[in-house]
Amino acid sequence: MPTALLHDDPHTVGPYLLLARLGGGGMGTVYLARTAGGRTVALKVLHQRLTADTALRHRFRLEADAARVIGGRHGAQVHDADPDAPRPWLATEYVLGPPLDDAVEAAGPLPERSVRALGAALAQGLAQLHRSEVVHRDLKPSNVLVTAAGPKIIDFGVAHAVGEAPLTQAGAAVGTPAFMSPEQASGGEHAAAGDVFALGGLLVFAAAGHGPFGSGQPTDLLYRVRYTEADLGGVPPELVPVLSRALAKDPAQRPTTEDLAAALAPDGIPQVFADVLPDGVLRMVAQRGDEVWRQPPRLAPPPPDAPPGPVTLPGGPGPSRRRMLAMTAGGVVAGAGVAGGLWAWLGRGGGPGGGDPAPKPVKPPTRLWTFAARTPDRDGQVLSTRHGLAMPGGIVLCGVNPESGEGTWQANVSDAWRWATDGTDIYALREHDKGKKLAVCLLDPADGQPGEPLVELAEFVGGENRNQLLCVVKKTAYLVARAVNRDRWYVVALDLRTGRVRWRTQVDAAADGYLPPMLRGVVIGDRLVVSRSDSGIHFVNVTSYALADGKRLWTLSSPFSGEPPSELVVDDRYAYLTDEAVSALKLSDGESGWLFGNDRNVGGSAGQSRVYGAPALHDGVLYCTEGDRGLVALDAVTGSLNWAEKGLKGRRLSREVPPVVGRKYVYSLDDKGLRAVDIRSRTAVWTFPTDATVVTADRERGRLYLREQQATFALPLA
Amino acid sequence: MEGLRQDDPPRIGEFLTLARLDPAARRDVPERRYLARSADGSRTVLISLPLQGADPGRWAAEAQWAAKLAQPGLWPVAQVGGSAAFPWLASPYRPALPLPEAIDAHGGPLPEEAVRTLGAALAESLASAHVLGVVHGGLCPASVLLTAYGPLVSCFGAVRAAAPDGMPRTGLPGIDAGCLAPESGTGGPVQAPSDVYALGAVLAYAATGHTVPERAEIPAGLRAPITACLSRDPAARPEPAQVLAQLAPGAAWGTQHAGAEPVSLPGRVVAALSLQAAAVLAAELPEVR
Repeated sequence: MPTALLHDDPHTVGPYLLLARLGGGGMGTVYLARTAGGRTVALKVLHQRLTADTALRHRFRLEADAARVIGGRHGAQVHDADPDAPRPWLATEYVLGPPLDDAVEAAGPLPERSVRALGAALAQGLAQLHRSEVVHRDLKPSNVLVTAAGPKIIDFGVAHAVGEAPLTQAGAAVGTPAFMSPEQASGGEHAAAGDVFALGGLLVFAAAGHGPFGSGQPTDLLYRVRYTEADLGGVPPELVPVLSRALAKDPAQRPTTEDLAAALAPDGIPQVFADVLPDGVLRMVAQRGDEVWRQPPRLAPPPPDAPPGPVTLPGGPGPSRRRMLAMTAGGVVAGAGVAGGLWAWLGRGGGPGGGDPAPKPVKPPTRLWTFAARTPDRDGQVLSTRHGLAMPGGIVLCGVNPESGEGTWQANVSDAWRWATDGTDIYALREHDKGKKLAVCLLDPADGQPGEPLVELAEFVGGENRNQLLCVVKKTAYLVARAVNRDRWYVVALDLRTGRVRWRTQVDAAADGYLPPMLRGVVIGDRLVVSRSDSGIHFVNVTSYALADGKRLWTLSSPFSGEPPSELVVDDRYAYLTDEAVSALKLSDGESGWLFGNDRNVGGSAGQSRVYGAPALHDGVLYCTEGDRGLVALDAVTGSLNWAEKGLKGRRLSREVPPVVGRKYVYSLDDKGLRAVDIRSRTAVWTFPTDATVVTADRERGRLYLREQQATFALPLA
Repeated sequence: MEGLRQDDPPRIGEFLTLARLDPAARRDVPERRYLARSADGSRTVLISLPLQGADPGRWAAEAQWAAKLAQPGLWPVAQVGGSAAFPWLASPYRPALPLPEAIDAHGGPLPEEAVRTLGAALAESLASAHVLGVVHGGLCPASVLLTAYGPLVSCFGAVRAAAPDGMPRTGLPGIDAGCLAPESGTGGPVQAPSDVYALGAVLAYAATGHTVPERAEIPAGLRAPITACLSRDPAARPEPAQVLAQLAPGAAWGTQHAGAEPVSLPGRVVAALSLQAAAVLAAELPEVR
């Protein structure tokens, strides 16, 4: 039965958004969870505190394997699993049926024909498991779910891993040795025949409503399992002989699973299993299929000032639905089913994240499209050109139709630093003539294939994969390349129309040998501004070159504690760096223009020395995150504070991904997803759950592109 | 539930269609009904469109009205959208079988006891609507959606939507001829007794497999209430409350319609509901095109 999430539950696990809790125990928690495509699953997640235990991780993997072995007919269909994830998880179908112990408790002992069909189906399931040399070792009523299509065996191995600790809900038959085999109770090996013994006991429970050895203290139960005869009181007489044999103390005397199935159902299991289920159990089955669609709100307890029920019709203005109900129902109370359905409608929306103190929460937008990456890739911007979008997808560059999100082409250009766009076309660095020459090509907008080289340079090493295309502006390509002789690196301005090198200027090599020159370059006015932040060296190095002749105008080195900035933010006056403070460097001479934030108390920032996140510049205002407190907007000319985000708590803000500025909202990533901060109210109005690591704005098309590990998707930019 | 066909819309408003609710071969379904999901995967809905050839404007007006109602036993409409030429209505998904699918799943007409339970629920729902002056005007076998908690009536106003009063309605798209009261068929207003006629036809269908049965086909215990409902003279038909009293003698008012407690359903109907729910749970959104 789904219950609301607790506040320390993760928001997402793997590709799943968690919706509700289904159960928990010593080793893991089972959640109701959903993929981006809306598939709803039961997701078992190993406890955080156990993830370092390699033996438990191994157990978890075995469980996933066993669940796959039994398959969807006799068990819960496995959709996906990742036992190697930081928090290992296993996603299976959400099984529509009550556990056998609940069913017997609510509907009473099952009639004989139900017990026969149930026993024969379970024996077949065990047979399938045993054929793959897996032994369940913990078969008991709470581990069997009764569905309209037959019983399903769940929970493999985890309970065993933690010994006697009860895993699931309390109850006479659960977490006690009531269904153990004698060999298991005496510490011996519980093989396939042990599962048969447990099945015998389970069928006694189904037929009579009590376990074969009663209930009580574990030590008493263990004694009775080993030494006393099973109590078959209340079992229909025709079932007594077969169940007695299954409960024989000597494993060799017990029937095989095949014998047991044949003895229980000599004519086979009924074609439609639901035919043998009593009305009470059928009702529970139908109820489970219905109520999974009507979950409680995602988080418990609900935010204190959130409305207790649905207030507005989704997407529609006008009088509230609540008022409509009052006006038209004329005092007739809406059926519980109606109210429940609407709860589900609003409760499953995925945002606006629980507990947000936003005064006017707005529904987050829905995805316009999703482009699934064939191989995981979470780096690299989404480039927008006149012809469409281009983004790295694993080992290739992918062209994507901006309207539909369909992939249109793939180009064999792997490294994100080897291609650039001037807003219209995409250019890429290639090696030519077997690596002897460095070439610049235009990618065909229709199929992404590189055309004939626009320029070939024999004086640079074509096969050097650290060569970089910084940018292309006005048909001039600016690149960083290694010269053939003397192994030196140059910043090069290359006229793509004439194929001539307009200028080249040598780049200083770092003192400790030259690390890959991860440079960013932008052309602003009459300068090329290049920044370099070699990984491992906590400095950012900014150099300005004259566009006309490549003369180095100034260079400065500034300590920098965070990840190297992925983009250099400059305007015609300053270059902006954000770290422990926000600083503006004059483009004319590299001197400091203004400094913001070195005297501000920003509260704790969770051990991060980097206080200010990567900035974004828009209409003369510089936006960036400040600690974990929210966004700040600064006047780019003076460095004075325009406004700071209000009321944000309990988030870890991204320091690496710059915000994106729209007309109504500033978008910023945090550990809960993409947050939209209303520019007028300066508060977050919604959070779109995502673990994206790249957010790109496409102002021309009014889109935001977000890149997650497996997919890129588009949201409207407002 | 059935896979989509070539001519089914891949997208309706903000929703992407996953499957058809009614098989394409099923006749006498007043609307096109699909299981669909919002593009972000968060909302799964049952969504309806008017039939091809029906008047979308009249259909949309009924949908708007249905969205304002919160009548017990009526399928709730949560959202109406689209344009004048292409309107749609949507409700949060819950597992539901149209009555004809339920009877197919069961393998034939329902047992008398199940028909009584169904009839009592429908009669009580109509009675509480009629008290407020609300006439459903669309009751037919396909409009009855069986859920774990009882039957909910969809297709609100299908007969009114087919044509305005004064025009003959027989044979128009969206109308199940067997459930059309004679006076509504010739252009008379759709009034409370028309709902009662449709109730009789639906119960006849549940008990025999068709809406226009021979008297002898109907189980003896149901014969009197069903034939009374199917009287040609509207004035001779019983009130829904009388039908309720005949089908569930002594039942407390307000306990029969689909509500808070799961109801008894035949095993194979539960199996079909489970199958549908499991398929919708496991469904992933189609590729967005």
